[in-house]
Parts: sequence; structure tokens; C-alpha cells
Amino acid sequence: MAQRSSGRREWSSLALGAYSVVLLAIVMLPIVLVVVVSFSEGSFIRFPVESWSLRWYVRAIEYGPFMHSLWISVQLAVAATAAGCLIGVPAALALARSRSGFATAVAAFLLAPISIPAIVLGFTLLYYLSALGIGVSFLGLWVAHTVVAVPYVARTVIAVYRSVPENLEEAASILGASRWATLRYVTLPVIRPGIFAGSMFAALISFDNLSLSYFFGSTSATTLPVVMLSYMENQFDPAIAAISAIQMAIAVAVLLVLERLYGLDTLVAAK
Amino acid sequence: MSAAEPVRVEPHRALRRFRVARLWWIAPAAVFLVLFFIAPLVANIWRSIGGSAPGRASQRGVLENYTVLVTDPFYFGVLQETIVVAVVVTLACIALGYPLAYFMVRKAGRWKGLILFCLIAPLLTSVVMRAFGWRVIFANRGFLNTLLVDGGLLERPINLANHPVSVYVALIHILLPFMVLSISSVLQAIPRSLEEAARALGASKIKAFWHVTLPLSIEGVITGSILVFVLTNGNFVAALLLGNNSVRTLPLMIYQQFNLTQDTSFAGAMGNVLLVIALIGLWAQSRFGKGRGI
Repeated sequence: MAQRSSGRREWSSLALGAYSVVLLAIVMLPIVLVVVVSFSEGSFIRFPVESWSLRWYVRAIEYGPFMHSLWISVQLAVAATAAGCLIGVPAALALARSRSGFATAVAAFLLAPISIPAIVLGFTLLYYLSALGIGVSFLGLWVAHTVVAVPYVARTVIAVYRSVPENLEEAASILGASRWATLRYVTLPVIRPGIFAGSMFAALISFDNLSLSYFFGSTSATTLPVVMLSYMENQFDPAIAAISAIQMAIAVAVLLVLERLYGLDTLVAAK
Repeated sequence: MSAAEPVRVEPHRALRRFRVARLWWIAPAAVFLVLFFIAPLVANIWRSIGGSAPGRASQRGVLENYTVLVTDPFYFGVLQETIVVAVVVTLACIALGYPLAYFMVRKAGRWKGLILFCLIAPLLTSVVMRAFGWRVIFANRGFLNTLLVDGGLLERPINLANHPVSVYVALIHILLPFMVLSISSVLQAIPRSLEEAARALGASKIKAFWHVTLPLSIEGVITGSILVFVLTNGNFVAALLLGNNSVRTLPLMIYQQFNLTQDTSFAGAMGNVLLVIALIGLWAQSRFGKGRGI
């Protein structure tokens, strides 16, 4: 009897494991295929891939709009994240340790932009900013992406700051440190992982934000996902696979740096 | 005058905990979001009822946009389809994601990191790339058809490109990681000993799961569901690149209104309907969940 039940447990665990492996394989499949296709030679996508080349990478790099918008996307991710930290971190510090109804409500308000469909945000903000005279421009993109960067930064900083014992700062203050010195030498160093993780989230989200950026696209300032979308609406060739792979490589590189510094587990845990 | 002194913060201050941050530090972020998050949404409500929009809107009366959305069979169909898509995708993500989350937290051991990587890696790629990947798979002479035809399972390629199935698959693919991460973060916090206690007291493995683990993890399922539901409602890429108008949802309609007809007042009204759906989701989250989620 005992033997039978342990045999069944083995079987159910095994089935669950097999299921998980299959599901994860399906999750990875489209991404792997895009990378495979990006190295193919032909102008059409077909399987199995017969010959290999780097010509689509050459094409993607030579295609002006891809590289131009990639550069805009990088600048935008950095600018929006920096602005998000500048206003999001102080707000998070002020809110994290208060349990009052007011603080809870303000915190919910700061986090709200990520719970609203991005297409609605982008659409409404475009008309609002146009009325103010800064519609389709880098500045408009910057404002829109900062609105979304604030909640990502604030959320991780609040989570990390709450886990830090309050008496650390009290000790510094009792020992005679001024408020600014305490902030500079105690608070900021201990919440650095939160700022870093939130920044990375904000930057990665900004880097791949389509629903928001779409509405602000102009010839002078448009982001890579928007260019990729319009390219793909008209053409179906491996150049799009090549630029996708390049974009992914950048994002993975950023994440690897982060993983080295703080570990993936802490990032996912920092809710 | 001096009588007012002791009543002020002085005795209080000693008891109050030291704070580095001042309350006014929330002001820059709050003002920024009021100006560039709340104000645009309010302006959009005004525009959607024909307040200040150029073009066709001026001929429409107050609330006429909303009347059209509810009474016109086409747009009412869009409204229904939007909700159907979001519900189906959410349920599919629960059904597919829960076992994976359970496996990752309870059984995977040292493979946990790898599973986590497989879940996060897609989030690092562009949604355009993932849509492209599914087109590569579902195309007439794509990966799936080649596999099935060469494998002798099919005589001729099946046409899944531009079929609703590919839109659903792509949406589930995009949103599954959010569900799994929401559930696993809650499962992680449930002590294994609770399940072991139920087992020791004679419950079968399935009973222990059904009466102990599942109810305790339901909060993660709710949070994940709300997240997936809201994100599905904001996604137009899957329907645009894979559906070829076979799946018509509100976000796709907003995109098309903006692109083709430039009827900003009507698009604004559709945006508000989406917004209301999102707000119901937020309300549900504060009601049922405790604000967890990725």
C-alpha cells in the first residue's frame, strides 16, 4: 500500500515536471525561432532553414530608421528612468514608513499608471500635450515614459525601504549626523538595490513600450518598437528578426549585469 | 503665547520616530502625475462627450458616442469580444500557469533559476518580436505546418495565420509570465509544513492540496487574473499583427480610429470604456487582493 502511494507520487511529480518542460519549451519557441530566422539567408521565411548568413543583420544595421529609432529608444529609456528616480525615490521614502490612510492612498495613486491600459494613457496624453504645444516630440515621449517610470521606481523603493530597520537612521541621527548626512550615507546606500531594480524595470519597460510611444511617433523622434511595427505591417522578411535579436541582446545584457550585481531572485521578490 | 508652546510638537517629537524624508517629498511626483496622468484622463472624458474635439464630434450630441458604442450592433459586438478575449485569456493563463508555478516553487529545486529565466526572458523581448515569432510558427509554410506535413500528420498545410487562434495563443504567451510570477510569489510564502500537517492527519495528497494549498494561494490567482485581464485590454499588437481583423477588440479599434478615421472624440469614448474596465479591475484588486503582483 505504502509502496503504491509512493509510486503514484513519483508519477504525479513526473507528469507535472514533464508538463512544465513542455510549456516552457513552447514559451521559448517563438523567441528561439526568431533568432534562428535572423541568421537565415533567404528573403522568405521557411523551414527548415537551408543556408545561413548575416545579411539580414547588415540590412537591419544599414536600414536608417532602425538605428535612428534604436538610439532614440536608448536615450528615452535613460531620460525617463532618470526623471522617474528623481521624483519617485523621494516620494517613496516619504510614503514607505507611514501607515496612515493618506499615505496608502497617495502610494496607490503613484502606482496607478501601470494599472491603466497603456493605449489609453498614450492616446489621452497625446491630445493633452498637443493642446499644451508639446505633442509629437522627444519631450512628449519623455513625459509619457516618465509617467510610467515613476510607479516602477516607487514600488521597488517602497518595498526595499520597508524591509530596512528604522533604527539604522535613528542611530545615525543620535550619533550626530545631520538629516542630509543620514540620507547620503545611510538611507541611499541601503535602498540602492531598490533604486537599481526599479530603474532597470522602468528602463526595460520604456525600451519596449509600444502602446505609449505609438501615438508620439514623428519622423524626427520615434522609438524602435514603433518602427518595427510599421515595418512588419508592410514587410515580412528576416530583417525584422535581426533587429529583434539585436534589441533582445541589449535587454539581456542589461539584465545579466543586474543579475550579477543583485541576483534575479531579489528582483522578482521586490514587489 | 507661551501657553501655546508646550502644546506644539515638542513633547510629541521625542516619541516620534526619526524620519529622513519629509512629507513634502511626495509633492514633485504627485504634482507631475496630477498634471500628466490625471488631467489628460479628465480632458479625455470632456472630449469624449463632444466638449473640445475637432472634426466630426461637433455634430454629435453629449453622450452620443457612448450611445453608439452600446446600441450599434458592430460596436456592441466589439465590446463583447473585448471582454470575451480578456476572460478567455485570463482563464487559460490560470489553467496553464498554476501547475507551472506550483512545480517551480515546490518541486523544481535547483532548476528554479532556469524556470525563472525562461519566464523572464520573453519579457525582455519586444512584443513585436513575439508576434513575429508566432507568425513564423503559424504561417502557411511556417514552422508548425512544415513540422506537421513533413511528419506525415497532415496532408496539406492548415491556415492558422490570420485566424483567431493565433491571436489567443500570442496573448496567452505574452501574459502567462505575469500569472505564473503572481501565483509563485504567493505560493512561496505558504509554509510547506501546513501541507505536511494535513497529510500527517490523514488527508490524501489531492485533498491536502485542494483544502490547504489552493485556498491559501488563491490571492495570487486573483492578483494574477486582474493583472492579465487589464493587460489584455491594453494590447492591440496581437490582434493587429496576427488577427487580420478576425478578432476585433477595443484597443485595436482605438488604434484604427486614431490611424484611419482620426475621430478623436469617438476614440476617446472607447478609451474611457476601456478605462472603466481597468478601474473595475483595480477596485477588485483592492477588494480581494492585497496589492501583490509583479
